Amino acid sequence: MRGLEFFRNVSIGQYMDTGSALHRFTPSTKYIWLLALAAPATVAAHLEAVLLPWLATLALGLAAGIRPGFLLRGMKPAVPLLGIVAVFQFIFGWPGDRSALLFALGPLSLTAREGSAILMAVARTLSLMTIISLFTSLTTEGEIAHGIEDFFSPLARLGFPAHALALSVATAFRFIPIIAGELESIVKAQAARGADFGSGRGGPLKRTRAYLPLFVPVTIRALERAEALAEAMEARCYAGADGRSRYVVYEKRSGEIVVRLVAVLFCAATFALDVLI
Amino acid sequence: MAQKSTVRTVVVSGALGAVSIVLVLFNIGFIPWFAGASITFMHVPAIIAGVLEGPAAGAVVGAIFGITSLVKAATMPQGPIDVFFTNPLISVLPRMLVGIVAWAVFRLFRGRLLAASSASAGVAGSLTNAILVLGLLVLFKAIPPAVAGTVFVSNSLIEAAAGGILSLAVVTAWKGIENRSGRARLADEDK
Repeated sequence: MRGLEFFRNVSIGQYMDTGSALHRFTPSTKYIWLLALAAPATVAAHLEAVLLPWLATLALGLAAGIRPGFLLRGMKPAVPLLGIVAVFQFIFGWPGDRSALLFALGPLSLTAREGSAILMAVARTLSLMTIISLFTSLTTEGEIAHGIEDFFSPLARLGFPAHALALSVATAFRFIPIIAGELESIVKAQAARGADFGSGRGGPLKRTRAYLPLFVPVTIRALERAEALAEAMEARCYAGADGRSRYVVYEKRSGEIVVRLVAVLFCAATFALDVLI
Repeated sequence: MAQKSTVRTVVVSGALGAVSIVLVLFNIGFIPWFAGASITFMHVPAIIAGVLEGPAAGAVVGAIFGITSLVKAATMPQGPIDVFFTNPLISVLPRMLVGIVAWAVFRLFRGRLLAASSASAGVAGSLTNAILVLGLLVLFKAIPPAVAGTVFVSNSLIEAAAGGILSLAVVTAWKGIENRSGRARLADEDK
């Protein structure tokens, strides 16, 4: 079994405090840019429309004082993985594939369609990885949670539970170190009794059952803590978003609306490019 | 049984979301199986949220799980499939539906046969995850249909059984606790 020590201080992402102007934008603006960049990178059908958000992200990263190398470091472990994906395409054919043959080796062949699938997979991965990397470098966990409420606030007027959603996410962030601590003590307790997670022999279902003494207590403890927290909040008359003030209020800076409009325009332009090519 | 409230739903979603974040971050919930493919039960917290607190909680926990796996795939990829989990349509959307489907299946039993209903919710939720993720991978030309079919037969059916076992264990254990004391047991710790 690998390490018993789970980090007490868990962090998702990789916040980089360079104190740039981009860091000081409100979380909503960061969310809008995240969507404007990620949407074309996710669904656009042409290579150019997938790579344009990537270039924009690298430029934004430079403006925020974050080196392209830092944003791209996730790519290094991904290269062999992309290689495996390419081999998959090479070995297995697509039914009804009549595109031009690029390369053949015995019964195996690489057609133009498979080649473009590999190329698009690489481009999409590169693009999305860089975008997510930049977002998590610019946004703290607190901003991620509170930003959800601000971002969905226009929908909240239509009855969308923006505040409840933000509270869920904030609770999840708060619970991570607690759950990690619980997990650690339960793993240690079960290991002391001779439990062996993961490396045990037997069929997969037997191995799943081996996880029961770990998964069930961790989940039950989490539910108990949630129950206690809910009771405590109700006892203190917590009643949702109405009339509730916030400890941190994100002030919109002048010109921020322009920055948001540019994001929307960028997204529209990229999709227009994708359609027109 | 304590009266259900929105505060409870919100907080329980957060707590189960945290469980799934921890499972993803520490890479627990992977059972190595042949050919490098692993069986996962990381989506089970979303199923449990759907069964215990309804479709909204299931969708929220599923989304938290999906976004965590998306960020993890983008910042520290570990398997070939992680390359495609950087795509939110593959990593987030199917996971949001896991909890919703689990809730719908659980509701079909109308509160009877707790063991059977929670196990079937677990199986249905796991199958939703497997079918949608594999289907979208084929749709995005990530893997050829033949590979998706093989993975479904070799992995997903076992994964569904594993999901059923874990959901059954957690839901029956939790409902048992709930019925006995009617509230959280954490309060007893000080005694």
